[in-house]
Amino acid sequence: MLQLIAVHLLAALAAPALVSRFGRRMFLPLALVPGSAAIWALTRLGDVLAGEVPVQSVSWVDSLDMHLTFRLDVLAWLMVLLVGGIGALVMIYCAWYFATGAKFLGRFAGIFIGFAGAMLGLVTTDNTLALYTFWELTTVFSYLLIGHYFTRKGARRAGMQAIIVTTFGGLAMFAGFLILGAMPGGSFSLSELVREPPAGTAATVAIVCILVGALTKSALVPFHFWLPGAMAAPTPVSAYLHAAAMVKAGVYLVARLAPGFAEMDTWRWIILITGSATMLIGGYRSLKQHDLKLLLAFGTVSQLGFLILLVGQPNQAVALAGLALIGAHAMFKAALFLTVGVIDASAGTRDLRQLSGLGRNLRGAAIPGFLATFSMVGLPPFAGYVGKEAVLEALTHDGGAYESALLAVVVVGSVLTFAYGMRFLWGAFARKPGVADAQLDREPPGLFVPGFVLAILGLGAGLLPGLGEGLFERYAATYPAGEPGHLTLWGGIGPALALTVVIVAVGLGLFAARGLVERAQDAVILGPDADRGYRTLMRRLDRAAVAVTSATQRGSLPGYLGIILVVTVVSAAIALGSSGVQIGQVRLFDSPAQLLVAGIIVIGAILTAQARRRLKAVVLLGVTGYGVVVLFALHGAPDLALTQALVETIALVVFILVLRRLPAYFSNRPLKSSRWWRAALGALVGVLAMALALIVPAARVADPISVLFPTEAYEYGYGKNIVNVTLVDIRAWDTMGEIAVLLVAATGVASLVFARTRTRTGRVERMRDRRSGDAQVWPSELEDPASRLRPAQGTATAPRRARSWLTGPGALAPNRRSVIFEVATRLLFHTMLVFALFLLFSGHNAPGGGFVAGLIVGIALTVRYLAGGRYELGEAAPILPGALLGTGLFLSAGAGAVPLFFGGVVLQSVKIDVDLGILGEMHLVTSLFFDIGVFLVVVGLMLDVLRTLGAEIDRQGEATGTASPDIAHDSPRSSPDDSRPLVDAGGEH
Amino acid sequence: MSGRGRWDWLQRVPMAVWMTAVWVLLWGHLTVANVLTGVLVSVLLLWVFPMPRVGFEGRVSLIGVVLLTGRLLVDVVRASVSVAIRALRWRQTPHGAVIRVPLRSESDLFLTLTAELTTLVPGSFVVEAHRFTGTLYLHVLDVTRPGALERARHDVFEQERRVMYAFATDADIEAAGFEPRPWRLRSRGGRTRTRMTRERSSYERGKVLPRDGEDES
Repeated sequence: MLQLIAVHLLAALAAPALVSRFGRRMFLPLALVPGSAAIWALTRLGDVLAGEVPVQSVSWVDSLDMHLTFRLDVLAWLMVLLVGGIGALVMIYCAWYFATGAKFLGRFAGIFIGFAGAMLGLVTTDNTLALYTFWELTTVFSYLLIGHYFTRKGARRAGMQAIIVTTFGGLAMFAGFLILGAMPGGSFSLSELVREPPAGTAATVAIVCILVGALTKSALVPFHFWLPGAMAAPTPVSAYLHAAAMVKAGVYLVARLAPGFAEMDTWRWIILITGSATMLIGGYRSLKQHDLKLLLAFGTVSQLGFLILLVGQPNQAVALAGLALIGAHAMFKAALFLTVGVIDASAGTRDLRQLSGLGRNLRGAAIPGFLATFSMVGLPPFAGYVGKEAVLEALTHDGGAYESALLAVVVVGSVLTFAYGMRFLWGAFARKPGVADAQLDREPPGLFVPGFVLAILGLGAGLLPGLGEGLFERYAATYPAGEPGHLTLWGGIGPALALTVVIVAVGLGLFAARGLVERAQDAVILGPDADRGYRTLMRRLDRAAVAVTSATQRGSLPGYLGIILVVTVVSAAIALGSSGVQIGQVRLFDSPAQLLVAGIIVIGAILTAQARRRLKAVVLLGVTGYGVVVLFALHGAPDLALTQALVETIALVVFILVLRRLPAYFSNRPLKSSRWWRAALGALVGVLAMALALIVPAARVADPISVLFPTEAYEYGYGKNIVNVTLVDIRAWDTMGEIAVLLVAATGVASLVFARTRTRTGRVERMRDRRSGDAQVWPSELEDPASRLRPAQGTATAPRRARSWLTGPGALAPNRRSVIFEVATRLLFHTMLVFALFLLFSGHNAPGGGFVAGLIVGIALTVRYLAGGRYELGEAAPILPGALLGTGLFLSAGAGAVPLFFGGVVLQSVKIDVDLGILGEMHLVTSLFFDIGVFLVVVGLMLDVLRTLGAEIDRQGEATGTASPDIAHDSPRSSPDDSRPLVDAGGEH
Repeated sequence: MSGRGRWDWLQRVPMAVWMTAVWVLLWGHLTVANVLTGVLVSVLLLWVFPMPRVGFEGRVSLIGVVLLTGRLLVDVVRASVSVAIRALRWRQTPHGAVIRVPLRSESDLFLTLTAELTTLVPGSFVVEAHRFTGTLYLHVLDVTRPGALERARHDVFEQERRVMYAFATDADIEAAGFEPRPWRLRSRGGRTRTRMTRERSSYERGKVLPRDGEDES
C-alpha cells in the first residue's frame, strides 16, 4: 500500500510536465495510476473474502507514536476500489472533457493524482495521526481543485469556504485523536480503538471532536453549505471529490469507528440529528434547484446524511445496507455528475429551464443518466434499490422508538430523493413545452464511456446482491448490535416492499406537483440559512480581527516597549516571589577600574535617557555599549569584548544610516503623567535586572552544564576557544536557528526598503552603469567652499595629487569627498580583510570565529561605503546580499548534514589531520565549514543593511529630490505639552 | 592587455607583501606554511577585491620608518601629558584655533599620512584636507601661548618631513624643498641615481592622470 501511495506521489510530481508537454491525452496513461489501486484491490478480493486483513507497517516518527501502518479490511478494500476505480474513470473522462488548449492542465493533473494518493492513504491507514495527515492533504488538494479556475471570483471564494470549514473540522478531529491517543486505555491505532473503545468523559469529548471532523468533511448540517459552493470546480472534480472520494472520507471515518462507539449515547444522538437533518434539508433544497449540478450537489448532501445515518448505527443489518449504499452512491452519483458534464459541454448550459429534448437527441448521456437515477431513487434491479430495501427491512424488524424515528426519516428522505431524481431526469432530458430543443455540439465518444461504465456497474452490482453481502457481512458483523442483515433483490411481500411502493407513489406525486413545491419553497423560509450564517460569522471574525489588531498593533513604539517591559517585570517578579528570594554572595568589584567603567556606563545611560537629539542619544548609547566592552575585557573575556565592540560599532553605523532620514529631534515630550509612568517603568526594569543579577546565581541548585564545556569542547569539538566551539558545535543548532533568523530579518529589512522599487533589488549599482548626466551621490545644498580652488577644465594638477584612489567617489558630490578617507580606505581595506580571515580560521582555538570575522568584513564594507558612496559599495562587493545569505545558510546546513553520510549525527565535528610534509601538519576541524557559513551570513546581512539603509535610501532621496535632512540645521519646535521650556533643550547642542 | 595586466600585478606586490606580513604577524609564527598561506590569502583577496591602479612611487627607508614611529611615540606621550595637564587646570580656558597649513609634498599619500599622524597626536586634529592644493586645516587645542601657532605649523611640517623621509624618493624630498635624508648624504651613489631617474620617467611618460570626479578607466 505504501508503494501505491509512492506511485501516486511520483506520478503527481511528473504529471505537470507530462501533461504540459503532451497535452490532455496524457490523462489516459495517467489514469493507470489510480487505476492500479483499483486493480490491486481486485487482486486482493480473494483475501478479503477469506477474511484476511493484510497489514503493512513502517515506523515513521516513533516518539510521536506515528507509524505508517496500513490495513486492508473490507471497509478499506471497498474504499480503495472506489477511490482508485472512479479516479481512473474520471481521469479518462478528463482526457476529453477539457478543451485542447486549456490552461493549467498540468497542474490540475498533478493535484488530481496527488489527491487520489492522499485519499488512498486516508482509507487504508490504521494510525490516527497518519489519517489526520492524509485528511488535511485531501483538504488542501481539494481547495486547489475547487479553485482550479482561479481567475473566477466565485471559484476562489468557494475554495476558501471549503478549506476553512473542512480545516476547522480537521483540527477538531485532530484534537479528538490526540485525546483518544493520550488518555489511559487509548491508542493511536484505529483498530485498537475499535477493539477496546475507551470510555469516560474524555472519550466522549474526543468522539464529539472527531465527529465534527467527519461531519464537516461530509458536508452534514450545519456544515453542508460548502458542498454546493464547491460546484464551482470543473465537473470531473465534482464527480470525483464530491461524489465518490473526499466527502466519503467522513462517511468512512464514521463507519470505521462505529463498531466501537456507535452505542455511545452522544454518538447516537449526534448521528441521528445531523444525519436526519442533512438528509431532509438536502433533499428539500434540491427540489428547487434549476442548475443540474446544484440539484445533484444538494442531492449529494442529502445522500451523505443518509449514509452517515446508516453506517453510524450500531445495528449490523443497517450497517450492511449502509456499506452497500456507499458503493452504490459512488457509482450512481459519479455517473450523474459525468452526465451533467457531458450535457454542459454539449448544450452549453446546465439550466434545466433551457434544456429540452436531450432524451432523444443526446442518447449517450440519457442512457447512463436514466440508469444512474434509477439506482439513486431505489428502483429495482439497481444497486441503490438493494441497499434501500435492506435498510427498510432492517428498520421495520426491530421496533424501538429510536428505530421508528430513523425509519420515518429514511422514508421521508427517500420520498424527497425520488422526487428530485425525477426532477433531474425531467430537467435534463424531457422535451419541455415552450422550450426549443437545445442546440447540441458533437462530443467525442470517449466522453460518454466513463458514465456508461459506472451506470452499468450500478446495474450489475444490483443484479448480484449476493456478492455484496458476502463481502460486506464480514465488516457489518463487527458492529455491536442487531442481527446480520441480507442484501437481496426480492425480500418477499412485507412492510419493506409496502414502504417502497409508498415512497415511489409519494415521490411521483411530489414530482408532479413540482411547480407548487418550488413556489412553496420560495414562500416559506425554513430556519436560518447556513451559508448566510457562515458569511456573517466570517465577516464578524474579520471585523473582530481588525478591532483586535488596531487595539494591540497601535504602531506606537513606546506602547510596544511598554508592554514588553511590563510583562518582563511582572513575570520575573512572580517567579521571584514564588520561589523565595535569597541573595548570594556579593562582591562589589574585582578591581577599581570596573567601578570607574561602571560609573561611565551609568552616566552614559542617564544622559541617553535625557537626550532630545536622536544622534546624541545614539552616541551616548554607544558609550554604554563600549563601556560594557571594557568590562568584558577587564573580566578576561576577549572574545566577548571583541564581539561586543564590533556589534556596537555596527549598531552605531546602522543607527546613523537610519537617522539620516529622521528628524533631528525626538518628537515633543509626552504629557507629564505618562513621562512619570515611563520613567517608573524604566527604573523598575533596571531594579529588576539588578535583582536578578543578585538572586539568580544563588538560586542555582544543580551544577551548571558549562562546567563540562572546557573538556567537552576540546575532546568533541577539537577546539580550545570554548566560546567558538559552543557556537559551532555544542550549541550548533542554536546558531543554525539564529542565522536563519538573521537571514529572515535581513530579507525583511530589504523588502521593506525596496518595497517601492521592486525591480532594483536584483541589481548591483556599478560605476560603469553610471551615465554622465546622473545626479551626484549625497548632494548638498551648501555651496562647496573649495570650488574656487578646483582646477578649471583641462588644466593639469600636480601629477600625484587628486588621484582616484577608489573608483566610487567619482560619483560623489565634490564637497562630500575626503582625500584622507579615500586614501586610508584604500590602504586599510585589504588589511582588514586579512584580519577577518585570520579571525575566521584561528577562531577555533583563539578569540575570533565566523561571526566576528563577518562583522569585520562588514565594517570594511561600511568604510568603503562611507568613503565613496553607494557606487563604491557596488564596486567593493558586486554581489547581491541574497546570494551571500543563501550560500551561507546552505553551507552551514550542508556542513551539518555531511556527517550523516558517514554514519555520524547532524552537526558532529570531525578532526582531519593532514600531513603536509615540510609545511607541517594541518588540523582541520569540519565545524570550520559551518563557521564559514555563519561568516557568509553575517557578511550578507551587513551588505544587505548597507545596500538598503545606505545605498537604496540615498538613491530614493536623489530620485525624489529630497536629500536627507541636514541634521545640524534642523531645529526643534516647541509644543504646549512640553513640561520643560525648550530654551533648556536648545542649550544641549 | 596582458602586458598591462602584468604591470597591474607588479603594482600590487607591495600590498601583497604587506598583507602577508600582517598575516604572519597575526599567527605569530614565521613558518613556511604561514608565509605560503599568507601569500595565497593576499593574492586571493587582491584578486577578488580589485582597486583602481595607483602606483606607489616612493622608496621605503627603514631608518626613516624607525625615526617616524619613534618620534610619534614620544610625541603622543608628551602631548597626552600636556593635554591632561591642561584639562586639569580648572581656571584657564584653552583657546583653540583652526589653522591652515599648505603641505609641501605633492602627493595624496603623504598628505593623508601626515594628516593621520598629526591627528593621532593629542591636541591637534585635522578637520579638513584639500586635495588639489594639498592643504590641511587643523584644529589646535590651545594657542594662548605666544608662538603656539607657529609651533603647530612647524610640527606639521616636521611630521611631513619625517613621513617623506620614511617613504618618499630622494627626488620627491628635494622637490618638496626638504633637506635630503641626512643618512643618505654619505652613501650617495649610482644606485640611487638610477632609481631616481626611473621614477621620474614613469610619470614623465605623460600618462594622463584622471581628474577629480572621473573614473580612471
